[in-house]
Amino acid sequence: MAMSGMRGLSVFISDIRNCQNKEQERLRVDKELGNIRTRFKNEKALTPYEKKKYVWKMLYIYMLGYDVDFGHMEAVSLISAPKYPEKQVGYIVTSSLLNENHDFLRLAINTVRNDIIGRNETFQCLALTMVGNIGGREFAESLAPDVQKLLISSSCRPLVRKKAALCLLRLYRKNPDVVNVDGWADRMAQLLDERDLGVLTSSMSLLVALVSNNHEAYWSCLPKCIKILERLARSQDIPQEYTYYGIPSPWLQVKTMRALQYFPTIEDPNARRSLFEVLQRILMGTDVVKNVNKNNASHAVLFEALALVMHLDAEKEMMSQCVALLGKFIAVREPNIRYLGLENMTRMLMVTDVQDIIKRHQAQIITSLKDPDISIRRRALDLLYGMCDVSNAKDIVEELLQYLSTAEFAMREELSLKAAILAEKFAPDLSWYVDVILQLIDKAGDFVSDDIWFRVVQFVTNNEDLQPYAAAKAREYLDKPAIHETMVKVSAYILGEFGHLLARRPGCSPKELFSIIHEKLPTVSTSTISILLSTYAKILMHSQPPDPELQNQIWAIFKKYESSIEVEIQQRAVEYFELSRKGAALMDILAEMPKFPERQSALIKKAEDTEVDTAEQSAIKLRAQQQSQTSNALVVTEQSHANGTPSVGQLSLVKMPSMSSHVDGNSADPRLSPENGTLTVVDSQPSSADLLGDLLGPLAIEGPPSINVHPQPSSNPGSDGTVVEATAIVPVGEQANSVQPIGNIAERFHALCVKDSGVLYEDPYIQIGIKAEWRGHQGHLVLFLGNKNTSPLVSVQALILPPMHLKMELSLVPDTIPPRAQVQCPLEVINLHPSRDVAVLDFSYKFGNDMVDVKLRLPAVLNKFLQPISVSAEEFFPQWRSLPGPPLKLQEVVRGVRPLPLLEMANLFNSYHLLVCPGLDPNPNNLVASTTFFSESTRAMLCLIRIETDPADRTQLRMTIASGDPTLTFELKEFVKEQLVSIPTTTRIPIQQTPTSPVAQPTSAPAALTDPGAMLAALL
Amino acid sequence: MIKAVLVMNTQGKPRLSKFYEFQPVEKQQEAIRNVFSVLCSRPEHVSNFVDAESFFGPDSRLVYKHFATLYFVFIFDSSENELAILDLIQVMTLIGVIGYQLVSVLSVLEAVNFWLKTVFVETLDKCFRNVCELDIVFNYSKMHTILDEIILGGQVLETSSTEVMKAIDEISKCALFPIWFLTCRLEASSNAINLVPKSVSGWRSR
Repeated sequence: MAMSGMRGLSVFISDIRNCQNKEQERLRVDKELGNIRTRFKNEKALTPYEKKKYVWKMLYIYMLGYDVDFGHMEAVSLISAPKYPEKQVGYIVTSSLLNENHDFLRLAINTVRNDIIGRNETFQCLALTMVGNIGGREFAESLAPDVQKLLISSSCRPLVRKKAALCLLRLYRKNPDVVNVDGWADRMAQLLDERDLGVLTSSMSLLVALVSNNHEAYWSCLPKCIKILERLARSQDIPQEYTYYGIPSPWLQVKTMRALQYFPTIEDPNARRSLFEVLQRILMGTDVVKNVNKNNASHAVLFEALALVMHLDAEKEMMSQCVALLGKFIAVREPNIRYLGLENMTRMLMVTDVQDIIKRHQAQIITSLKDPDISIRRRALDLLYGMCDVSNAKDIVEELLQYLSTAEFAMREELSLKAAILAEKFAPDLSWYVDVILQLIDKAGDFVSDDIWFRVVQFVTNNEDLQPYAAAKAREYLDKPAIHETMVKVSAYILGEFGHLLARRPGCSPKELFSIIHEKLPTVSTSTISILLSTYAKILMHSQPPDPELQNQIWAIFKKYESSIEVEIQQRAVEYFELSRKGAALMDILAEMPKFPERQSALIKKAEDTEVDTAEQSAIKLRAQQQSQTSNALVVTEQSHANGTPSVGQLSLVKMPSMSSHVDGNSADPRLSPENGTLTVVDSQPSSADLLGDLLGPLAIEGPPSINVHPQPSSNPGSDGTVVEATAIVPVGEQANSVQPIGNIAERFHALCVKDSGVLYEDPYIQIGIKAEWRGHQGHLVLFLGNKNTSPLVSVQALILPPMHLKMELSLVPDTIPPRAQVQCPLEVINLHPSRDVAVLDFSYKFGNDMVDVKLRLPAVLNKFLQPISVSAEEFFPQWRSLPGPPLKLQEVVRGVRPLPLLEMANLFNSYHLLVCPGLDPNPNNLVASTTFFSESTRAMLCLIRIETDPADRTQLRMTIASGDPTLTFELKEFVKEQLVSIPTTTRIPIQQTPTSPVAQPTSAPAALTDPGAMLAALL
Repeated sequence: MIKAVLVMNTQGKPRLSKFYEFQPVEKQQEAIRNVFSVLCSRPEHVSNFVDAESFFGPDSRLVYKHFATLYFVFIFDSSENELAILDLIQVMTLIGVIGYQLVSVLSVLEAVNFWLKTVFVETLDKCFRNVCELDIVFNYSKMHTILDEIILGGQVLETSSTEVMKAIDEISKCALFPIWFLTCRLEASSNAINLVPKSVSGWRSR
């Protein structure tokens, strides 16, 4: 049979295909998994063929979406099979099922290495493929030299060498040191002289990865790249199999031009000239033809050439040639080329000065907004958004509004947001802006966020000229038979405030305004009812002398809502009712809203926030800012750029590692690092710990924050040691106090944070020892429970309270510990993501009549997941530079540091696995340290630390921490800070009591307070 | 870098999936579901690009190609050229076609044999509709071998279909399985039907 003779596999696949539904499929899969499991139990009885078959089945089941959590060992063991068929299956299945951190993979390193250095080329290929797919750091360390040797060997076949090139690329990503050997750059340049296009293609991919990190070392490769391009462009020595629809290896052309884009510039005039010749030829010589595949290939090359031209910032003439080409592309029939034409035009908009030429294509771009393909419509929208300025804003925004009625739901939100932003940024006059937003609400009310209508209200309130116009417009919309609730809100608000300005117009008397607004009340939600009640109160205030009929009507409504179940509505009804009886005094209280403080638009801010991810996009932002400065329409937004937003949130002490803005503020604002640099950060997770942190505010704040995790009644302050430290052990109930611990529990815990074994807790009856092994993001702990007495300990219970970021599994703890016996309980720990929270062991037992219950912190702390790593200067500085600023790199001035000689501080760092690298920083007062952090979410991640001390004042220092993960950077910074600041001294100035309230605030509160929209909402 | 290669049928069933950045199995399935839900709603004759950032994170691009009852999907980051990836998909399918030409007499006989058996299992109609899919389903193990000759560690290893076929040919000699790597057969409705040699479509329609 043709299926590699694996009939069993085919039958199984057929069965799966014949399943009528998911349930049947699951049953069949479970049956098969059960079968495989039983077969694997008796591994010796399996023939290699059977093993192979079962492993393939596992892979198939895995692809169907079922977790296959066994049989990994069998898959890995096939790698060492002597025959090719088994070995091949072993390699393929292993690289699909396992990831680089898998333990079994380590077992295979030797076999893999033997295959790589062996003589059998087919084995070499298999091994290189697997390492290239899933090889980790350990593979990099032990295999890199062998792989390099294969790559540059002249005796190896191209088939092996091209795989070696990509395998080396993977190893380089895992450990950049593998190519940091002397002379590697020269070898790389030699590799580019290769004649075999397969090897050349792989080597070029390797080069792209290398130069993208460090182009300096590879200048010698630049002329070679240009040579390769020339060779391809002239079709010199290109074998037929690499010619694709008549185009010489489009893939290699693309990769080579990509590599060239990582060199900042080309200085050699000869090289530059020959490159431009090639590019010119590509730009001129590509045409849209009938064959789709040929089009794809030729345009892949063309678009890459365009990108390179843009990068090189060629002469104006060549640039306009590029724009002309793009203009042609966005009008062709072929959808892929239209798509890329629009995308590249957007890119071009940002880097060069060709906007005017692009504007000529505006009509065509607007047509693309009606393309049947949503991908193309999105690109068109992006381009229109990017090219919009004061001169064409009116046209573009009106097109967007028109398109809004026909656009599909998936795009409406983005569309309305973009239209609102453009209208605000480039409005030629404010009444137009009001028109646009009201139209937006009218056409796509569901997609208009509150921010948008809050912003309109702000503008109208702040611009007196605009008020009558806005009021009249709002009145017009109310005449429509069915309007969106947001429209009800904004109209009611505007008419309440400024309706009196319309008093002389027909249909706008207070009474008429009231009745038309009140018509909408039965259909709206509670939040709108609150706004309507305010509007009624305002209408009442403006109708002086009071119209008794209107007054009675409105009072009746207030009366009705006095018993509303909604507190907000009830309160408003009660208050407005009472206020409105005060007559003239009402005028003062319900007077017009004052002008809003000028601040940055929440919308523009939101748009900018989403735009920060790539450098290209920040170029848009920059341009947008420059342009809006030249626009005089909305000066309001501009000043806020200079002033910055008054950030209420900065006063709060809530930890928000996920919100970069707050972290920024944290590091930027010295007010935030509280007195003496002690930590005042409290975890904001909605847990009982918060409530306790709340109650114990002043106490908790003095110690390391991890203590806050303990749910504790503060019943025994000062029993021994310092106040805070004593809270580490928490007796439950009165009896507990009768058994006193031996030694200081907090001290024991701190000792265990740097050691891996020792005593965690001891009292007259029991001793709890701990021994730990840490590997990567996993930990293996053993708890030793020793009964010190001649009678048994009963009702023994151990419960682990893990924090969110740790997965912990404690094996069964026996109920009774016999006299003078020791019980060992293994505890497995997996670190999911970076956090400083600490796990707690809730341990209780009974001895005679004494019931003892202690809560002990477990030393599974952040530094246990660190592995010291020494970095060289060549490695450190590029890494350091590549992490430019918050949230990946955070800096903070820490005061109140325990004064330490530098050497001692270095020792302290080393003890926490932060390896101090001497000599990296030229200033002898500074320390530079590096480490690798392991967790499931970040995997292995390099962290870099720099401490700048002040020899004149040892109690303060500045630290900068960088890593590839914002949470990790933040947590590590706080962790280091905890280690450096002095743990409570007696002469502390008590911190004010206020922290209690911010502690209880939900995470979003501070952010909301900085948001003008939210402030307005609060005012409503 | 290429992040993942997915092949799924027009009902959303995965036929081949390979992730070059490790993802837990639930994430993989979620990705497949999300991709499918977008692809199945796209009309014919539109571009081959889809916004993928919402389900593969920032800096993700998605290119797909629809052949008969299969979607070939590549997810990659901005270091790759979109159209070049599209070429690659074309190369992959070309290899399937060249595979036909190398079919030895023996394996044709085997194939026909197999074909008849399946006919009894499923209705002829259904078989016909799924025909190109079946090849992938049952040559699932070989698809992995082919993929490994085209992409390694998320990087493109070889773009010449001739070279890939040579490599596969060598492997098949070692692995003792006959070469009929029929990755993608195309139905009469597909625009690329001219690529399928007559001799093969002949026995197929029997």
